[in-house]
Amino acid sequence: MAILGASYSRDMGIRRYPLLVYGLVPLTALVLQAWLPRVLWGQAWFDLPLVVTIYFALVRRSPVQGAVMGASMGIFQDALTHLAIGVNGIVKTVAGFLAGSVGGRIDVENRTIRLLLTFLLSLLSSAVYVLIYHILLGMDLKSSWLTEMVKAVANSAIAMVLFPLLDRLQIRE
Amino acid sequence: MESFFTRYRNFLVLLALLLAQIIGLAVQVRRTEAGRSTLDPRDAAGVRLIRLWADALVTPPELLFHGSRQNAANLWQNYLDLRHVSQQNQDLQKDIDRMRLEQAELLEDAREGTRLEALMGFQQRYVYKTLAAQVIGSSGSDSSRVFYIDKGSADGLTRDMAVMTPDGIVGKVRDVFPHTAQVLAINDPTSGAGVILETTRIRGILRGNAQGRLQVVGILADERIRPGEKVLTAGGDLIFPRGLPAGVVQGVAPDPDRDSFIDVIVKPAAHLDQLDEVLVITSTEPRFPAQQQQDMNTSEALKGAAAEAIEEQEKASQIMAERLPGLTDPNAPAANAKPGQTALPGQNQAGQGQAAPATALVPPVPKLLPTMHSDRFTPAADNPQPSDAQTSGSAVQRAKPASKPQSKPRLPGAAQPASSGRNP
Repeated sequence: MAILGASYSRDMGIRRYPLLVYGLVPLTALVLQAWLPRVLWGQAWFDLPLVVTIYFALVRRSPVQGAVMGASMGIFQDALTHLAIGVNGIVKTVAGFLAGSVGGRIDVENRTIRLLLTFLLSLLSSAVYVLIYHILLGMDLKSSWLTEMVKAVANSAIAMVLFPLLDRLQIRE
Repeated sequence: MESFFTRYRNFLVLLALLLAQIIGLAVQVRRTEAGRSTLDPRDAAGVRLIRLWADALVTPPELLFHGSRQNAANLWQNYLDLRHVSQQNQDLQKDIDRMRLEQAELLEDAREGTRLEALMGFQQRYVYKTLAAQVIGSSGSDSSRVFYIDKGSADGLTRDMAVMTPDGIVGKVRDVFPHTAQVLAINDPTSGAGVILETTRIRGILRGNAQGRLQVVGILADERIRPGEKVLTAGGDLIFPRGLPAGVVQGVAPDPDRDSFIDVIVKPAAHLDQLDEVLVITSTEPRFPAQQQQDMNTSEALKGAAAEAIEEQEKASQIMAERLPGLTDPNAPAANAKPGQTALPGQNQAGQGQAAPATALVPPVPKLLPTMHSDRFTPAADNPQPSDAQTSGSAVQRAKPASKPQSKPRLPGAAQPASSGRNP
């Protein structure tokens, strides 16, 4: 079964990583997301947990894994705020699911596609976030699309640096 | 059925995850009487558990990052500071000793003022005890302006404690964990602090907008509000003590939701974007630390000793005044004494003190007993000294019949002749 699984992964181009990477990389993303705004004048112009979710969903090519990882990361991210737990969870669940679905259909090795996907999924996440607040919760959330655009660009820039670094951590056959 | 689950496994997992989180959201959000949705300020047990897990997971690495950064930054600075530190330390120690005594005196005044205000029925709250804490992290989101400090319930922190810097107020403790606490900054839209404009005395609620800018809301349009006016805490919210600086008025903007209302844009007094250390007000009761209490006792003891020394000095000078010969004639009758009656010092003070206060003010001069055995050093009353001859002449004349020495000393009295000699 293990041989079958490994063979299936190899045939499908699914990457595998040491178990420690699945634990440490998301944790580091959460910690940096909470810590970096302190040294960046209080501004959070990026979403590291989202970038990491997109990466693992893309390279694992699994919508389920992407959705579960996105939900976990989003819930922990929400737990660090004083807002309702679940908003970021839903956003990243959707983003992870879509990234995993797309990852099975396109060439995820291409850097341009990766960047474009990260940019689009970041914008989609912002839209879902606003929709959840307005429609699902019926609460006011004043947001600027310019800010969300800047955030999407920043996420793409981070992805451009982070994805090659994470690629090096995969298990080579 | 099996093929259905296999075929739609991905969508079913997605739906299950979304449904679970939507139900979780529905539990946390409630409707107000005005029909608006709001988050429950108090977390449910399950939500609090998730926050506790997140805090336990993220805080240790954050502390590690924070400590590493601070150590690296302070390494060179510490080396520079070590130079001349001994001399500076001595100078500072002297300053501290002096200022402690001054502070003790001020605290005594403050205590007296507090007591008097309590007597008058005021309920003003004072800042008496704070706890310094370091900011170790944030929420990581623009929509949630909270930050984390490295002190928690183990250090005595509880919910709704005010957080400030020496510049001004910062926020309030929203959630407390064993070794950390979550602080809601005053520039968050869900935050709120009762404030008053210093000059115009207009009251309002201070909170943040979506961009994290501070504004005072719920104020009727008023032309007196000018940029530069200080904004202070009003003390009515039972979180922030009265009179703490909150910021300075930057400008005025019309309220987009309500006519005739304005929003006062405020520049925060504290640097909310660059917080490193904050003070948590852990007690607003008038309690003094042991050191300050000791200083006050020392100050009181010093004051008591000084008063005692002054009293001793006064007593000594009085005794000296009694012993030294006075310029007034001791044998002269009192101003209001009856004719043929000589006033006694004791009688003057006791018997006529009230009736003749002017007499009582004359310092008492002791009267000397008559000489019983005269010699060349102490001449008898029969040979008065020239200086005394004029003043005591009549008395000597009356004492002449009793030429023999008396067997026992007689008390100086009205019938007793005054002696001009010295009693050995």
